[in-house]
Amino acid sequence: MSGTESPRGWHADEESLRAWADGRAGPALGASVEQHLLRCVDCRAAVGTHVATPTLDHTWDRVLEQIEVPRVGLLERTLLRLGVGPRDSLLVAAAPSARLSWLTGVAAVLLFAAVSAAVAEDGGVALFLMVAPIVPVGAVATAYGRTADPSYEVVLAAPYSTLRLVLLRTAAVLVPSVPLAVLVGLLLPGPSLLSVAWLLPAAALVATVLTVSAWVDPVLAGTAAVAAWVVAVAVATQTGDPLSVIDAAALVSYTAALVVGCVVLLGRLKRTPSGWPLG
Amino acid sequence: MSGPTVELHALRKSFHGTTALRGIDLRLRPGIVGLLGPNGAGKTTLLRILATVLGPDAGSVRILGRDPGTSADRTEIRRRLGYLPQELGYPRGFTAYAFVDYLAVLKEWDDAPTRRTEVRRVLASVGLGDLAGKRIRALSGGQRRRLALAQSLLGPPELLVLDEPTTGLDPEQRVSLREVLAEIGRTATVVISTHQTDDVAALCENVVVLDEGEVLYDGGVRELVASAAGRVWLAETRDATAAASWRTATGRYRNLGEAAPAGAQLVEPTLEDAYLLLRGASAPDEEAAA
Repeated sequence: MSGTESPRGWHADEESLRAWADGRAGPALGASVEQHLLRCVDCRAAVGTHVATPTLDHTWDRVLEQIEVPRVGLLERTLLRLGVGPRDSLLVAAAPSARLSWLTGVAAVLLFAAVSAAVAEDGGVALFLMVAPIVPVGAVATAYGRTADPSYEVVLAAPYSTLRLVLLRTAAVLVPSVPLAVLVGLLLPGPSLLSVAWLLPAAALVATVLTVSAWVDPVLAGTAAVAAWVVAVAVATQTGDPLSVIDAAALVSYTAALVVGCVVLLGRLKRTPSGWPLG
Repeated sequence: MSGPTVELHALRKSFHGTTALRGIDLRLRPGIVGLLGPNGAGKTTLLRILATVLGPDAGSVRILGRDPGTSADRTEIRRRLGYLPQELGYPRGFTAYAFVDYLAVLKEWDDAPTRRTEVRRVLASVGLGDLAGKRIRALSGGQRRRLALAQSLLGPPELLVLDEPTTGLDPEQRVSLREVLAEIGRTATVVISTHQTDDVAALCENVVVLDEGEVLYDGGVRELVASAAGRVWLAETRDATAAASWRTATGRYRNLGEAAPAGAQLVEPTLEDAYLLLRGASAPDEEAAA
């Protein structure tokens, strides 16, 4: 590297700087210029004039990206690994129900049900039946809506389908929590059917909440659904047979409610791409 | 001149027996229009209807040439709309960048590199470029308000609906916001609800004054100010017959009314004077408390 001497020492000449910036400098010249640039402010400033503006912009964009774009959280990372698209992963992670505290609460509720069941035997079956469907209903109720989502108003004013958003977020909570609840059910005394039989009333309740949420706040709809279910199990327990809430006749009525709910939801999905009606 | 971007006819809306809007007729064109009125006048209800998050009980609405009552049209309007509600919460743990990015996804900015550029653009336009990576809970009230504004600028929108955008901003921030809005208002329709008459005077060509769910005035800002000419007086005493009267920093009283108090000096009216006179004239029973 040739250079010029200045009061502050040697500086790289223009041609060497240009060759380095263009990537034309060989290994020896390149290493030499690079070493010099690390300790010479003047040459660092001078080399900037030899770098094409688009290259500088691109480099600056990459730097900003590293600084600004937030680190992907655990839930989002897991969803990405499971093959969920980056856009859907972000929308799920932004849901109030995606908060770690909420998921911890879900686990705590199920653990409580399991421990109670182990201790209280028959009473535990009733408790499990009472608690298990609350998890999916809670997931739906807190996925969206004025009460659950602090950004509700601007989310509603966006073109993204709100119904799709709710279904996406509900699915994201159901996928980890339902197998957990099924596992707890298997550990309980009583018929093995118990571990999965609660899924049907739970699905019927979820479909009902989703349908009713077109007109009332999802938290209100979810609370009403949970209250109705708790009362039903309590009444059945009082009459001496908590399992009557999942007998054949009851399962048929849940299936009917689920089918009606799904038909209404599919109809809305077809007719209203933007989701909830005005209201 | 381009056609109206917003057309409202005989618009009515009630909440649990309380009437918020009583037959509103409005046509808005590209440019910035201010929405003035006392609390409870129906401003927020009107803006929520324009933002397609609320439907009217009666009357017709056309926004950007489409009917928000049908879902396909509503989605199309939302693609071209920016909305800043009066109050906005934020998802917990989000940074400023992540929040705008999240809303950009909901606004169908699907291509990640393009979205990043757009998110940076709107954050920079409200002066939050350097705070993009900061968590929202660590931002000041004014910064959060600017963040809320930033998401509304994604697009940029053809219709921008802003409910009290200057609340919580300091004077410098308000001036810088005016510059941003003036630029958007060159091509888009910007509707700003505010209590700050000086913001309307500085920004808007037209103003709509609402009172008790009705349009009290719909026209030019200059014309409204001119309507107060000859009715604003500075005097040593308060005029009991004035529509409004208050003591200024100089110790003299600013009286708004037809009659000149003794020894009064006639002064140029401001938009605030004109607004108070307009409201005073329509509500003579109210003591013009302002």
